[in-house]
Amino acid sequence: MKTLPLIIFGIAALAQWAAPLSQIWTHEQVLAKGTLIKLKCQAPDPYDPLRGRYLAVRPQQREATVPAGMKLKKGMQVYAQLTPGSDGLATVSSLSLTPPDGGDYIRLKAQYVYNDKITFEWPFDRFYVNEKLAPEADKWFAENIRTAKGITAEVRVYNGRAVLQDLSLDGKPFREILKERVK
Amino acid sequence: MSNNHQRWLLEQLPQWEREGLLTPEAARTLRDRHAVDDSQPGAAQIVMGALGALLIGSGLIAIIGFNWDDFTRPVRLLFAFVPLLLAQLFSFRALQRGAATAPWVRETAALLQALTTGACIAIVSQIYNLGGEWPDFLFWWLLLSLPLVWVLRSSSVAIFYLIGIAVWSVNQVEHGRPWYDSPLLYPVLLLGLLPWWPGWKMRTSLSLSVRWVMTLSAIFGLCSAAVFACSRSQEHYGYYEDSFFWLWTLTAAALTLLPLSQNCLDEPTRRKPQVLLGGLWLLGYGVAATFRDASGDILRGVPYALRLPWCWGLLTVLAAFVALAFLRRRWAVLAIASISLLPLLMIPLHRPDVRPDGTLLSWLALLHLAAIGITLIVLEFAGKKGAPRLGATLLSVLIIARMADSDLSLLAKGVAFIGVGIAFLGFNILMGRLLKQKAAAPLPA
Repeated sequence: MKTLPLIIFGIAALAQWAAPLSQIWTHEQVLAKGTLIKLKCQAPDPYDPLRGRYLAVRPQQREATVPAGMKLKKGMQVYAQLTPGSDGLATVSSLSLTPPDGGDYIRLKAQYVYNDKITFEWPFDRFYVNEKLAPEADKWFAENIRTAKGITAEVRVYNGRAVLQDLSLDGKPFREILKERVK
Repeated sequence: MSNNHQRWLLEQLPQWEREGLLTPEAARTLRDRHAVDDSQPGAAQIVMGALGALLIGSGLIAIIGFNWDDFTRPVRLLFAFVPLLLAQLFSFRALQRGAATAPWVRETAALLQALTTGACIAIVSQIYNLGGEWPDFLFWWLLLSLPLVWVLRSSSVAIFYLIGIAVWSVNQVEHGRPWYDSPLLYPVLLLGLLPWWPGWKMRTSLSLSVRWVMTLSAIFGLCSAAVFACSRSQEHYGYYEDSFFWLWTLTAAALTLLPLSQNCLDEPTRRKPQVLLGGLWLLGYGVAATFRDASGDILRGVPYALRLPWCWGLLTVLAAFVALAFLRRRWAVLAIASISLLPLLMIPLHRPDVRPDGTLLSWLALLHLAAIGITLIVLEFAGKKGAPRLGATLLSVLIIARMADSDLSLLAKGVAFIGVGIAFLGFNILMGRLLKQKAAAPLPA
């Protein structure tokens, strides 16, 4: 048996494990050590042919002010400081090109830059749901997304990374509400 | 000759020997010359193997799609990694057994491993609600699958990879992306297949289906890169389509002139899709350039395209391919590919402040195509390898195009069209008779 193909196969097999494992490691770190941040959401429900049904999660805030002197271009990474308001919901309070020294922050991608404003993409945009619960989840989402209370995304934030942990309504977790509804 | 044809020939030999059509010696010579390469799997075997792997892979993806809410994260992660591990062990066994592994088993193992890799990444991103667009997912999936093409010599994973990189490139055309996340990466991705083809020892010949997929992938990928290269430069705004239209034509010329081994050169044109599709584009482009307005548009885009590094890269590759084609005496493809360079002859006349006039280029294109058409016919009658029917078709199309563009009355145009039609049919009949006579003529002693 030739050695070179075996070596290449071994490297490929390791890479096939390493890619998902590195994702798992990073996100487990965020879930274990991250701070819980709540963001108010808006949006509808689509389907991903590869990963199943999900609720499209779009935090309400999509725009921030660029500090004077900061040069930003479309597609650039930027660090956003998150500050909780009196209602417990966090908002982006300031932007920087390097990680802030303290507090909770998240790494975002600049979408459009105009004058002193940028619109940005959040690093999460979907919450996957069980196929059986999906129709009820759609209804629940549609009923509550435009109410005054609105749906809240619960996100763990750690070292600039974020993992969407849950959705909630009035402090009650999304899955609990759904299970009660389908009973 | 394809494996199927060779198999058919080998099946006939015993019968022909029995009937006395062939001597045992001649049959042996034919057997040696047309031995079937069993390292290449048959189409049916690939299809069956691929179908099995696809069904298993799709089943896994569907199971993932259900989203098993009731299981804990570690259990759900097992769903991702166990199939991947099993597929890797299957592939390893196939690789370990080397030549003893049936080609279809090798294909199935490679495809299954590629699919379970995709399923594994998908389930992880589902569990952690990872965002991101599907092209990012596809990109990493393709990169992780590519080594399977090299080591398991898998045509089905190569086809998946070729389709994947083309789809990814078309999707990345959007203006404003950095170069490393754009279709400009396509040539590097395509070169990723080099260890598989032409192979470490440059001995492997590609099946017809892979050739077609590779050609179509290259067309979509390289054309996307051309569009992206034009859109990157803001100053070209307004001449955008005219610029990439010429870049597409240079791409077609490069594809047509792609260097080939002597064995491939001896094959019929229908087994060379890059020559077929590239040549068709170039002839269509040439005919379009015979119209003055179209020529004006081409001339408007060329000076802007010439400022792009992508254009100079294409011209460099084309120059190298032209040199190799000269050495191989590929006169017919050289003549057709040269159509793409006609606009360059007009560059000395270019005035930046004046809208270009396409008259001269349209005449050049007309004369060039007419010369090609006549040459293709004359070569046949001079006893060399020509393409008289293609030549006659080209001349007819040129006449029709000129008639459509002229200010002649409808009556005159109608008469001319009928005349061309009759001449075309007459020529076709004449060629049919000539070919019959040639076939009936006794072979030289």
